[in-house]
Amino acid sequence: MVDQLPAAFVEWIVSNGQLFASGLVFSSIIILGSIGLALVYAIGDFPSFAHGDLMTVGAYTAVVVNVILGLHLAIGFVVAMVVTAAVALGTDKLVFRPLEGRAIELLITSIGVAFAYRALIHMGFGPSSRSYDVGGRGGIEWIRETFGVTVTPRGATIVLTTLVLVTALHLVLQYTTLGRMMRATAENKELARISGIRTQRVLAAMWLIGGALAGAGGVFLGLELVIRPRLGFSILVVLFAAVILGGIGSVYGAMLGGFVIGMAHELTPMIGAAVGAVPLLPAFGSEYDAAVAFVIMILILIVKPTGIIGGKTSA
Amino acid sequence: MSLESRLRSTLAGRTEEEKRVLALIAGFLSIVLVLVVLGPVVALTGLPLPTLSISFIISTLAIAGMYLLLTLGLNVQWGYAGLVNFSVVAFWGIGAYTGALLTGAGSPHELELHPLYGLVVAIVLAAVLGFAIGLPTLRLRADYLAIATLGFSEIIRIIILNEEWLTAGGLGVGGMPTLVSTWPLSFTTPVLDPIADLLGAQTRTVHDLVFVMLLTFVVFLLLRRLQVSPWGRVLRTIRGDEDVAAALGKNTYWYKMQAFVLGCVIMAIAGWYYAHHVRFMTPAELDPIDTFYIWVAVILGGSGSNRGAIIGGFTVVIILQGTRLYNDFIDSILFFLTIDEAALRLLLVGLLVILVVRLRPEGILPPQREHIWPAALRERAGEEGEQ
Repeated sequence: MVDQLPAAFVEWIVSNGQLFASGLVFSSIIILGSIGLALVYAIGDFPSFAHGDLMTVGAYTAVVVNVILGLHLAIGFVVAMVVTAAVALGTDKLVFRPLEGRAIELLITSIGVAFAYRALIHMGFGPSSRSYDVGGRGGIEWIRETFGVTVTPRGATIVLTTLVLVTALHLVLQYTTLGRMMRATAENKELARISGIRTQRVLAAMWLIGGALAGAGGVFLGLELVIRPRLGFSILVVLFAAVILGGIGSVYGAMLGGFVIGMAHELTPMIGAAVGAVPLLPAFGSEYDAAVAFVIMILILIVKPTGIIGGKTSA
Repeated sequence: MSLESRLRSTLAGRTEEEKRVLALIAGFLSIVLVLVVLGPVVALTGLPLPTLSISFIISTLAIAGMYLLLTLGLNVQWGYAGLVNFSVVAFWGIGAYTGALLTGAGSPHELELHPLYGLVVAIVLAAVLGFAIGLPTLRLRADYLAIATLGFSEIIRIIILNEEWLTAGGLGVGGMPTLVSTWPLSFTTPVLDPIADLLGAQTRTVHDLVFVMLLTFVVFLLLRRLQVSPWGRVLRTIRGDEDVAAALGKNTYWYKMQAFVLGCVIMAIAGWYYAHHVRFMTPAELDPIDTFYIWVAVILGGSGSNRGAIIGGFTVVIILQGTRLYNDFIDSILFFLTIDEAALRLLLVGLLVILVVRLRPEGILPPQREHIWPAALRERAGEEGEQ
């Protein structure tokens, strides 16, 4: 009986392997986005509603390099990270910093910033959808033979690159002076400043890192979906769900939250069927993927508002 | 009493802000008047001057009433209680769709009920959903409500778009009856129809205009009364410092919930009116940007002030209608730039939000004496008069 359970579980995983594989890819994108959001939340102390549109900035920067200039998307990816980081830092200097940390004003202003980003992109590139000029749509042969699921080279690149970036961020946070300063500032800004940490510089570093990761996530989002001006704004709710699930302001929480929410987002058809099997509840399809993330977020707010990893402890 | 001395006595008791706003209103009204008068002149001479027709003004005001209701509703939440509600358009849409589905001839349910049923159900539904959103979030920091309401707004849009059996989906719902042609308001028809004919406007629009302005006025009076009541004072304390209110023994959670639900209900009423005014609803109308038009109106007018909400609401309507009206004009100047109108409006709203919060967070007409009990104000004025 007991040893049958894992077998059933493995069978269940294998039979839904394709959904899990694409869930892994989507989770990677959400992780990249939600880390930046969590960094701003931890150190800047406000939820930035412009973060989704910051990802759109990254996606369109890569369009310029890859489609308009005709260079390889890998170059576009690097340029997108740099440009998005610069845009994030510039926005902070120009718009957010003059508000001197008044959280509610910052929150409302960030919506204005989100609209401004999207409007400018819309004006520059038009409302029509675009896609990158890169191959990698076919499944990888040996993965299909071994695991029986289709993983595209695109998907594999997204997952592996995210792993590298997340590991790099982990090393920076734990083993460098900058990382220690960032964690100290997230924990208690006043105390950090008294101990001689230049919190303004830490804030700048935070915007650069968060922006770069958003740019990377934006390019990957553009690889998986069609690129349009609403690209980033439409997953903002999903990003917030990931950050709240992990615990506001916690970078490691955002990684975990991003993984769970990304999976749930892609597994929506399965969740919908499971919910439909319960009497009185309706079944639903993938059109409700954002709704699933939202419901998880509300449940977390009811049960454990501090999130899984809780509070601003590990930044 | 001459006109000048009468004007003087009106201005005497006013604050600087009030004088400035009065001057602005007077200036704006005179511009409108000139543009209206220019209408026949242009028609006769064919001069290339901008004009305004009376029927355009009437239809604009009939829509403006809806914006004023929404602004008053958000002012209760943000202005009175400091609650960040990013789902204004969702509660508006709940009201509009409830009205549309219960009364519309094109509704998939084919109920064609009286509009009053729609109003009652819209109010109840908005109150229940507002309560459900407030339940987990109002205990927490203000930003949780902002995040949850932004998500809620998107979910409502997705549900209305996808649940065709319930809402007719992307096709939209039409054929709602007009409000004023139905009992108990139909008695106004003999009075209003000749006026509409005289002004050369659609009779239905004139009816709706009178109805929505009366409705807005009643809501305005109600909210003004609430503002100076003990209830309003508790909310102001919560907005200023929630811990103080809690230390004074006030159940801040419950007060915030009441303000939130009241605001949501007013928004739903605005949507219900819209459904019967435009008489066609599609899910595309639930664009989140509309929420932020209302935000701009509230902050620009002066958070916490009902008069400010009215001024801000009108300003936003003028900006919106102005960009629509002079779109051709802008196109003819900037013909070398193909600017998408939707993108331009998005940029305008974005920049307005950023600039107003930065440059004038207190708004055009911040609440000042509105917080004082009117009788106390008169008493003080009387004492000063004796001295």
